Amino acid sequence: MTTTTLLSRGALFLALVAPPAGSAGAQARYEQSLSLSAGLYAASGFGTNFYTSGRYDYFIPGTRWFIEGSLGVGSLTSKVMSSVTKAQIFTSDNLVTYEFAGAFDYAPGGALPFFLFGVGGVREGEETHFAGVLGIGKRVALPGFLGSNALGFRYDIRDQIFSQVINHSDPFIVHNITATLGLQIYF
Amino acid sequence: MSVSSSIRPALIAAAILITTPLYGQNSPASPAAEAPRAPLIDLNESVAFEVCPHTGMMGSSGTFGLKLMMTYSSFSLELAGEQVIGRTANLYPVSINAVLNLATHGRLIPYGAVGAGLWLTVPVNALGAETVSTLGMNFGGGARFFITRAFGIRLEAKQYFTTISDSRGLKNDLLFFQEVSVGATFFFH
Repeated sequence: MTTTTLLSRGALFLALVAPPAGSAGAQARYEQSLSLSAGLYAASGFGTNFYTSGRYDYFIPGTRWFIEGSLGVGSLTSKVMSSVTKAQIFTSDNLVTYEFAGAFDYAPGGALPFFLFGVGGVREGEETHFAGVLGIGKRVALPGFLGSNALGFRYDIRDQIFSQVINHSDPFIVHNITATLGLQIYF
Repeated sequence: MSVSSSIRPALIAAAILITTPLYGQNSPASPAAEAPRAPLIDLNESVAFEVCPHTGMMGSSGTFGLKLMMTYSSFSLELAGEQVIGRTANLYPVSINAVLNLATHGRLIPYGAVGAGLWLTVPVNALGAETVSTLGMNFGGGARFFITRAFGIRLEAKQYFTTISDSRGLKNDLLFFQEVSVGATFFFH
């Protein structure tokens, strides 16, 4: 590997990791945030529906860690299930999720995403599943947006992993994927 | 030996004798006492409140819960509610606990707790099954480790027990459950 290649890779790495000049990370100034996100929820075997979630974050001062609690609402409506098989797997199509997670944000002002892991509850109809949660996301501060320095937007991609039993089947592992975009307010 | 060469050692010796006591007086006899630092958390200061979201395991079931605490010195009163996610039923223990804090200041606050409450067992997808409520008790212990003045981590292990009777009331069974949980605690006055 040539020196030029090494240098260019190093420069790319620094550009990704290093916060842009003058952009003090929100983590340094604020300890908490609330966010409202909307996007898609892909329930394994049921299809994809709209999904909204509210999130509370607490940024642990002096560290790159934050913890998050979230509550999300969606639907398990499946056109295939309802029009072809006429099957009703759950007592209703309501989907409610809640998560309790920790996240590591190496570069709050840079381009690298944060990594999140935790646990969650996935309530499908009247059945609740205890799930492991893995995810990535990014918080982007919007200084001066709407005359405030406390606003930002964020994207999140989450995988909710849990064991499911349907109609007395053997338990199997499902991965429900969410992708959301949201507005975040720091305080 | 000339006069000047005989005087030089005497002058050096005199200089050492004169200056040494001065240096000795200037240097403190003992290191300056540091100003006492205020402890990160002081439960004796005033009534404090804590909000503690947590998660864990009870047997093989996952749990989520929230605890609200009011603390003064060694004693805390706690209201706890949680959800235990089972395959055939969800359990919702709601309890009031008395907590004895084994330290009242510093970062690490170990504690013991005992309490009682109501257990609601809600069956999942069982036709005709109704919610069953029983009285239960719990005891255990744990520790809160504060990272900042407002935030800490909480670990806890508890033993829960309750009795259930069959539908005819002829037989009582004493049931024991163990729970281990980890969570965050938000501390404020």
